[in-house]
Amino acid sequence: MDKILKVKNLTKNYKDGADSVNILENLNIDMPENQFLCVLGPSGCGKTTLIRCIAGFEDYDGVVEVSGKETKGPGIDRIMVFQNFDQLFPWKTVEDNIKYPLKINGTKDKEELSKLAKEYLELVGLAGSEKKYPHQLSGGMKQRVSIARGLAVKPKIILMDEPFASLDAITRRNLQRELLKIKEKENVTVVFITHNIQEAMTLGDRLIVLSKSGEIKLDIHNTLQAPINPATEGYGELWKKLSDNLEGNSDLY
Amino acid sequence: MKQARIQLVFVASFLLLWQITYKFGIFPQIMFPSIGDISNSFLEGFIEDGLLAYTLYSLSLIFKGMLIGIVLAFAFSSLAIISETFYSIYNFMVSVCDLIPGVALLPLAILWFGINETTVIFIVVHSIIWPMSRNIIDGFNSVNNVYIESGKNYGLTGINLVKDVYLPASFNNVLSGLKVGWARAWRGLISVEMIFGTTSSGAGIGWYIFMKRTNIDTAGVFAALLVIIIIGIIIEYLIFGTIEKHTVKKWGMVR
Repeated sequence: MDKILKVKNLTKNYKDGADSVNILENLNIDMPENQFLCVLGPSGCGKTTLIRCIAGFEDYDGVVEVSGKETKGPGIDRIMVFQNFDQLFPWKTVEDNIKYPLKINGTKDKEELSKLAKEYLELVGLAGSEKKYPHQLSGGMKQRVSIARGLAVKPKIILMDEPFASLDAITRRNLQRELLKIKEKENVTVVFITHNIQEAMTLGDRLIVLSKSGEIKLDIHNTLQAPINPATEGYGELWKKLSDNLEGNSDLY
Repeated sequence: MKQARIQLVFVASFLLLWQITYKFGIFPQIMFPSIGDISNSFLEGFIEDGLLAYTLYSLSLIFKGMLIGIVLAFAFSSLAIISETFYSIYNFMVSVCDLIPGVALLPLAILWFGINETTVIFIVVHSIIWPMSRNIIDGFNSVNNVYIESGKNYGLTGINLVKDVYLPASFNNVLSGLKVGWARAWRGLISVEMIFGTTSSGAGIGWYIFMKRTNIDTAGVFAALLVIIIIGIIIEYLIFGTIEKHTVKKWGMVR
């Protein structure tokens, strides 16, 4: 099967001091199309660094390939959704935030742009908020718009760096459900970074746990039957397995 | 609206205090004219002394200078964000040049360009370009990284990234740069006008003040200052206020 994303021998060292160590060490990940990969890891393990390398925001040793082509720097084929609520441009309305990337990437037709903006806002459950400015939205709504903006340009891979980590528990649950719905409706390939075991188990088809030293400690497929909740058969075992791998990593224990 | 009321009460109290000081004769009348004298001079200035022409001439110079200064400040600051080499050079230039008062360059400018409009505009441009560039570059440097990375992610590079991300994201700094530039431009202009008076093409409000002082017409000096204040208020509240309302305030970037 064709791999849409290949990470080969990825090593990252920020080289910000004489004693700086490798954050990521010889990482290899292959991803087929339409996979939802969740990367779990203790804080400081380099999971954000990993996704930033894939996005092209960092220099690194090794190779990141998308559809067989080596990537150089950021690109429209890999769209990042950040944890930061302020990733939308505050000087543009919600609608224009979605239209703008389309416009600069070749969609010029005004009607087409409006149609797409409407369509993707509907997809994330925000129809009717077109004319609002980002500062008039809640954190959860901003993240929804950011996801809509990312989906609208039809990237090959969506990169999500703990997009729900700063949200309250209820909003986070809602957004996870929405994201599952989107996953079923659209063919999306997602790399999703999180430190939340429940989140990874609910969303991911595949789960990777990184060790504190930036190596892959566990790489498994999520075989639980959807909808996944604590009552799902096998939930407890999987939770324990992930938790053991996460905690075993910590230098503190 | 509450702010406006407070400011109005302040101005009224100030004028009242002025008039009381005058009435009690605390300072010699020749140095401290009454509100009435100043108002008369103000009106007479426009009706008989051609104060409007002086004012318009000053304004025309300041707008020419500002236009050139703003364009250059934007061009150089944008280039500084795109090229690291240029950034190092330009940052250094701004630090050095901003220290030199415009008036100190006047003798040189007269040597180079002569006593004419070019010299005045040169001084005005010098007064604007450095503080504005400093504000713009500071603003560009403090743009939230997530906007820049988002922009790059969606394919923006070079001048498009500056125009579509850096500029709007730092618009508040850009505006305060404009305000500082505008204030510095006035200072530069008035000093130059006072020093060499008129050029072949006209005379400005600085020259008017200077003439009034020579004639010991203190009320006339105050009247000219009043003109500068009124222009300042119009620019601050009408122009900058309107721009702010339709940009940074609408975008929720300032309170």
